Amino acid sequence: MNQNILFLFQHFRGRKNRCYKLAVRSVRRAFVKSTKARKEKKRFLRALWITRIEAASLEHGLKYPAFISNLLKSQVELNRKMIADLAIYEPKTFKSLAALAQRRRQEGFLAALGDGKEPEGIFSRIVHHY
Amino acid sequence: MAAARRAAASWFRLAVRHRSSQSQAPPHGLVAKTSLSSPPWPEVKLPDPVEEAKYHAEVVQKVNKMIATGQYGRLFAVVHFASKQWKVTSEDLIMMDNVLEAECGDRIRMEKVLLVGADDFTLIGRPLLGKDLVHVEATVIEKTESWPKINMRFQKRRNYQRKRIIVNPQTVLRINTIDIFPSLS
Repeated sequence: MNQNILFLFQHFRGRKNRCYKLAVRSVRRAFVKSTKARKEKKRFLRALWITRIEAASLEHGLKYPAFISNLLKSQVELNRKMIADLAIYEPKTFKSLAALAQRRRQEGFLAALGDGKEPEGIFSRIVHHY
Repeated sequence: MAAARRAAASWFRLAVRHRSSQSQAPPHGLVAKTSLSSPPWPEVKLPDPVEEAKYHAEVVQKVNKMIATGQYGRLFAVVHFASKQWKVTSEDLIMMDNVLEAECGDRIRMEKVLLVGADDFTLIGRPLLGKDLVHVEATVIEKTESWPKINMRFQKRRNYQRKRIIVNPQTVLRINTIDIFPSLS
């Protein structure tokens, strides 16, 4: 019974690495914490990728929400892990992605403005107050 | 006398009103500058579509020539495989956390390629690149099991603890080659 856990608590701090009773408790806590951390690792890594993408896109003059939304609208389905890796190891590719997102953003603005004409049956009048 | 003055005054008022409405009327179609008269983003002008189409055709021809003559060094590709995206070059090792129905030593072609790049150009897929454009080959090297991961649940003061050991099957692949063909349009 002792031999199973011996290799597990040898790197702990204090009497936990020598006394069996204390070691059992801290080994149990270590197992529970590792199971919970496996779920939180995914959240943590995604937040890390997002901060990295934000920093890289700000270097090219775009904010993160604009960058990601315009990339998705242009049907480029790279996930955040890939975009963060490209931003680190392939700066030229990331620059082209940023340019693509910027162009799609401008096309979206023009599409939102429409014709520039006012709808029919409405007239604008400047009111002067004397 | 008084009637003449009244008439003159009314004529003067009429003249003033007529002149003021004439001189200060804005030209038709002009809207006053308010907070909502213009959009909050800066005005954008896109380049001429005809010239742009010419420029695009030129760029595509150049890239095609470069691919045809083989003026690229090491290629990298972004491949969607086993529900994950991998950034892959040749002679790369990839480990998946599941079983692949292929024996060790089998050659596999990865078809879902999202992006291919070299030093001077990148081909971005929307969302995938065509199969006649990219060819990614891999070989299955190893099929093992992961290290025993421990799942433990514990609630204090309730005498509740459950321990479970999870061992996942894993597959190791080596990416042999990434090829591109000059079939852009």
